[in-house]
Formats: sequence, structure tokens, C-alpha cells
Amino acid sequence: MQEKVEAEHILSMNSVEVLYDNVMLAIKGVSVKVPKGEMIALLGSNGAGKSTTLKAISGLLKAERGRISRGEVTFQGTDITEVLAQNRVGMGICHVIEGRRVFEHLTPDENLTAAAPRGMSRSALNAENEKIYDYFPRLAERRNSQAGYLSGGEQQMLAIGRALVTQPKLLMLDEPSLGLAPFLVEEIFGILQKINQEEGVSVLLVEQNALAALEIVSQGYLIENGRVVMHGTAEALKSNSDIQEFYLGGGEETDFHNVKHYSRRKRWLS
Amino acid sequence: MDWVFLSELAINGALTGLLYSLFAIGLVLIYKASSVPNLAQGGLTMVGAYVVLALSHDAGLPLWLAIPLAAVIMFGLGFGIERVALRRLAGRPVVMILMLTLGLDIFLRGITLAIWGGTSRSVDLGVSYEPLFLGDIFVSRIHLVGAGVALALFVAFMLFFRTRTGIKLRAIADDYMASWSVGISVERGVGLSWALASVVAVAAGVIWGEIQGVDQALSLLLLKGLTVAVLGGLDSILGAVIAGIILGVVENVGADFLDPLVGGGSRELIVAAVLILTVMIRPHGLFGRHDIERV
Repeated sequence: MQEKVEAEHILSMNSVEVLYDNVMLAIKGVSVKVPKGEMIALLGSNGAGKSTTLKAISGLLKAERGRISRGEVTFQGTDITEVLAQNRVGMGICHVIEGRRVFEHLTPDENLTAAAPRGMSRSALNAENEKIYDYFPRLAERRNSQAGYLSGGEQQMLAIGRALVTQPKLLMLDEPSLGLAPFLVEEIFGILQKINQEEGVSVLLVEQNALAALEIVSQGYLIENGRVVMHGTAEALKSNSDIQEFYLGGGEETDFHNVKHYSRRKRWLS
Repeated sequence: MDWVFLSELAINGALTGLLYSLFAIGLVLIYKASSVPNLAQGGLTMVGAYVVLALSHDAGLPLWLAIPLAAVIMFGLGFGIERVALRRLAGRPVVMILMLTLGLDIFLRGITLAIWGGTSRSVDLGVSYEPLFLGDIFVSRIHLVGAGVALALFVAFMLFFRTRTGIKLRAIADDYMASWSVGISVERGVGLSWALASVVAVAAGVIWGEIQGVDQALSLLLLKGLTVAVLGGLDSILGAVIAGIILGVVENVGADFLDPLVGGGSRELIVAAVLILTVMIRPHGLFGRHDIERV
């Protein structure tokens, strides 16, 4: 029974704690599971520990002198807590880091080439590139110009495309909507959904834009102060009144006679 | 004005300049793959020359075998430097890595002095010192050979940076974190760039060792090589070649005019002026990449 449950999750993180510089506790026992083939969102405010959670999974923590001090991360049933970041990419975990970070002085074509796994043949790489340009036709037009001069939306598309070249089974995205116009966010999220359905890639999405994220994912985790404070299906989260008030910007109708002169802040008991 | 004399100065200046380029290509390789200016390139060049001498004169191997063998040894040394010293500093501020390369240069100078002493030795490539006349213009054969080597390496590396491995190295120079995130082994890439730069150091060491003898002064080539690399734009191999020619011509022709006025020593002044003016007027050099800022 236990094994069957494990097999259904492509990724599971069990009470992971992360220390930066051996002193700063950034996440305090986060457990997140990604069912195979699904899209999951991590929601929460700035500094809540969402990005750290992704870095713990991708192994990029090490580059920032962080480490997992407790708990473990298993991917497809294998414990990867001690595996190097570059080897995790080979296993099928790819992390689209925050702020797009395309290789600015390379062209989009070269950006995709740079991400090609060892041993991928030239014809396989070309086929992969064409598939990515099919997902992102905007990029195809600018495939030979310098990536640093692409627009923000195009750079985000390139960052996602670059991740797809690594043949991920689990694609993790850190704030892909950051600084983008709403229509672009919608376009990119639509494409993500398409990639998820057509390629069977599981997706773990970190977002502050909860409204957009909850439209495309099946489940969400709410992280605050380095802990998971809520977990449920997208439907359940959307209808939760706390989520509505603090993350979706909705809530009860404002009665201006009763406006409070301080900003209310939710204190999560956990 | 004696035009024949002037063109002789210019042509020989350009050839000497290409020898500076030969040195500068090593600097550019490392900068292009890790965004670090390598201050140890002078030390590496000197070690490259000494290794060739050790294999040929001391161990008695013929030069055609000693030089490739030295290239292989230096290739390994380049990887070793990354493994032992640079790996811990990956992702740290560039200034720390810069200081490390400076320390490495001092170390390499010290160790060559300890092993091989300070007496100048000659490589003896067997290139004739008979003057070669192109029309009325006299050129030195060894300079011609060295310029040929520089151009051959230039073509080889231009092609290399278009291959998949070359593109990965350029990606590393752009963004370490993003490179890790798509599975590029940044450590191996930086190691490879040091290994290739060490092979270039063998070529530069042999040619320059033939011209001025193999001793501690060989490591001072760094000053001219760095000037050429900065003028060319630090990350541009084409820039290193063109800047080498420019510096060589300006230095040779300029010194001929200035030396009678100041009584000698104006070569160093010209090189220093080029370095300082480049940084002040055109910090990215002639062909260097700019940091992209979008609004």
C-alpha cells in the first residue's frame, strides 16, 4: 500500500529544513508532494520560503551556501538529498530560476544548445528546438538575435524553453509571471498547461500571482514563515475566505464606514 | 620621410603585435568562459616554456615530441588549478578570484625559480636567424612563425566557440547560476578553459622563449598581453588579434619617433598609455561585449 502511494508521486519532500550559512533557518519542516503528471502551485508572500523550497529540490541551494539540515527529498522513489544539482538535471528535475536569467550574450538558439544534455545528437536537438519554437512562436522570429535584447515575456519563454531542452520530468518555475503584463502571464500559463498535457511533464509552480496560478493547477500549498500552513485542491483554496482576502485581493465588500486604519495581517497558527 | 623604413617598422610591429595576441588569446579564453581576468597567464606561459625545456634539453626528447607532450602536461595542470584552487571560489566575488590568480602567478614564478634557477636559457627551435627580405623590407623569421601560430590558434578557437562545448563555456561566463540550473557542469567548464589557456601558454612560451630566452622575464609578458586583451575587449578573440596588431604597430612606430626625443624607454610608456586610455575611454574595448541593460 505504502509503495503504491510513493509511486504515484514523482516528487515528495518530507519535513525539510534548510539552513543558509549554517545559521539562518529558511524553511522549517516543509512537506510537499507532486503527483505524477499534475501541476502544483506553491503560494505565499515574499520571503515565505517558496524559492528556498524549489532550490532544495533542484540542489541549487549549494550555490548560495545553503543546505538541507533535516528531512529528505525523494524523486521517483530515489533519495536525492545528497545528489549534485547538475546530476539532478540529468535525472529529470529542471528549475527555471527567478528573474528569467537567460544567457544574455547568446542567441535563443545558443541558449537552447547550451542546455542540451550530454550525448544528445544534433538531429535530436534540432527536433527539440523546433518543438519549443512551436510552443513559443514569438521566440522563433528572434532566434538569432541576442537574448539580452528580447522583451521580458520572450525571455521568460526562452527560460522555459531552455529548461525543456534538458528533457525534464518535473519542471519547476519560480515566479514566471514576475514583471509581465497580464495578457502575457495568461499566454505563458496557457502554454505551460499545454506542455503539461502534451508532454506529461509534472509542474511545480511558485507564484505570488495566486489568482492566475490557481486557474491552471490542481492543488496548491500555502507557505508562510517557512511552513506549509494550508494545502488543498485549487477549488478549495479559491473558495477559502482567508486566501481570498489575503492572496486573491477579493474578500467581503468594503464598507468604508468600517475601514480599519491599519493593514490587517493574517497570523497563521501552526 | 622614408616610407620603406616606416613600413618595415609597421610590419615588424604588426608581427610582434600578433605575438602579444598569441599571449592574450590565453587570457581571453579564461575570461570568455568564467568572466575572470587571469593574472597568472604570465606565470603559466613561463612554466609552459620551462616544461618544454625540461622535456627537450633535460630529458633529451626531440622538440616535435617535447612541445605536444608539454601541451598535454599543461592541459592537465590547467584542470588541476581549477580543481585545487578555483572550485571553492565558484560564485564568489570576482575580486577574490582575481587575487587568487595573482597569488598563483607569484607562486608559479617562485617555483620555477626554485627548480630551474634564474639563468636565461634558450629554446632553440631551429628557425634560422638569416634575415628574410620581402622586397626591400626586412622581417624576422621567428616573428613570422609566431604570427602564423597566433593566427592558427585564432581560427581554431573561433570555430571552437561555435561548437556545443564552446557555447556551454560562453553560457557559464554569462551566468553561473543559470548554467547550474540547466545541468551545465560549471566546474568542468572553468577547468576546461584553464586547460586550453595553459596549452596556449605553451605556444606563447615557446615562441617568446625563442625570442628573448626563457627566464623570469617571460612572465612579465602579462603586462603587454593584458593591454592587448583589454584593448580588444577581454572576451573577444578577434579583438585580441586586432588589438595585438594595433598595439604592435603603435608601439614600434611610436617608439621610433619618441625615443630620440625622450632618450629611450618610450615603448613601455606607449603600452601604459594605451591601457589607461582604453579603460578610460572605451572600457569594453574594441570588440568586448557590453552588459545589456534594457529599459
